[in-house]
Amino acid sequence: MRPRVLAIDDSDLVHRLLRARLRHERIDLHSVYTADEGIAAAKELQPEVILLDIDLEDLDGFEVLARLKADPSTRDIAVIFVSASNETMDRVRGLDLGAVDFVGKPFDVGELKARVRSALRMQRLVKMLAQRAQLDGLTGLWNRAYLDDRLEAETASAIRYGNPLSLVLCDLDRFKNLNDTYGHPFGDEVLERTAAILGSGRSPDVACRYGGEEFALIVPGTDLQETIEVADRHRVRISEIQWPERPGVHVSASFGVADLSCISGTPTPEKLIMVADQALYRAKNSGRNQVVGADVQIWPRSATG
Amino acid sequence: MDHLPDTGGTPPIHSSYECDPELRDLVIHFVDELDQRVETIRSAFLSEDAAALQRISHQLKGAAGGYGFDSIGDSAARLEYDLLTDEAMISDLTERVEDLINNCRAAVRPADS
Repeated sequence: MRPRVLAIDDSDLVHRLLRARLRHERIDLHSVYTADEGIAAAKELQPEVILLDIDLEDLDGFEVLARLKADPSTRDIAVIFVSASNETMDRVRGLDLGAVDFVGKPFDVGELKARVRSALRMQRLVKMLAQRAQLDGLTGLWNRAYLDDRLEAETASAIRYGNPLSLVLCDLDRFKNLNDTYGHPFGDEVLERTAAILGSGRSPDVACRYGGEEFALIVPGTDLQETIEVADRHRVRISEIQWPERPGVHVSASFGVADLSCISGTPTPEKLIMVADQALYRAKNSGRNQVVGADVQIWPRSATG
Repeated sequence: MDHLPDTGGTPPIHSSYECDPELRDLVIHFVDELDQRVETIRSAFLSEDAAALQRISHQLKGAAGGYGFDSIGDSAARLEYDLLTDEAMISDLTERVEDLINNCRAAVRPADS
């Protein structure tokens, strides 16, 4: 997908000019005319960069900038403000409010392009860094910190829209033995191959490395029964990994699955993890290399229950 | 001889982007629309509609330079500045308004390619 650039300016003359000048840049340019439209489009479109006219008719551009920076959903968008004003104070004020750069009007073409490119470049790096901090170094899957954030968001959304949501916890069987017997480099290889399988599932599923040899899969929009089948396909693929350089080695994993219906009371991410973990514990105790689903809670419980 | 617009003695102004292939069509379009803008400025001035006058001078200030007509942009900026800062009546701005209209009329349409 090409990076999106949102231009907020009250003048059609300026939009036409931007369109012509940025035509050969590899971006999608969106044009809106008022502050209100601009703020709404910023939320909706999530552009990488906003070109913001400082003298809008309906609202001061500085005010728009302040509102964009105050809203978590638009805070990280790089804003370049555009102004016909040559006042140093205006530029200082814009930069102080969190704009990354400014372009003067009338545009100098080369400068305009260079500033847009530079903002896009920086935006990409910032995104990459933010993502890095949430990725597991060895396996490339999301890490525990991301899992916590994402599971919280998915739980809230599932409750609000009444959609199912499942969580799979997966733990490699006798991993410590493998490590002790064949060494850590082999252990790492097992983790990487397992991660590759868990990470190549259905696209809405979110695979994370949960701990040392433990993985988690957030499975949105899917109920317990179907998720058990999803988990079992992963289980089979893991057990079928070939280790040509280690004849006789067999790797397997145990799985615990839970969905929101397995939780008593108000669902929370912590409770979902807890019931999935209990199911995983049962899978381990029943001989490993299997998938166990948590019990569905029936509410209201009968008086004798 | 072709009818030449009355520019009050302002010499013809060529866009500095006349030969820029990226912008040429836009410049033609811009000049074609200037007649309409001059009309808007005139009628806003005659009816002493300060808001309309400010709107159009604001737009021209920000955009005309981008189309290669710096003198239109400058003249619009002067008018907007006076409108925003002066306590003066609109009728006192005759000179500024005429200056902007003359600059707009002096803009030369690049020949069709």
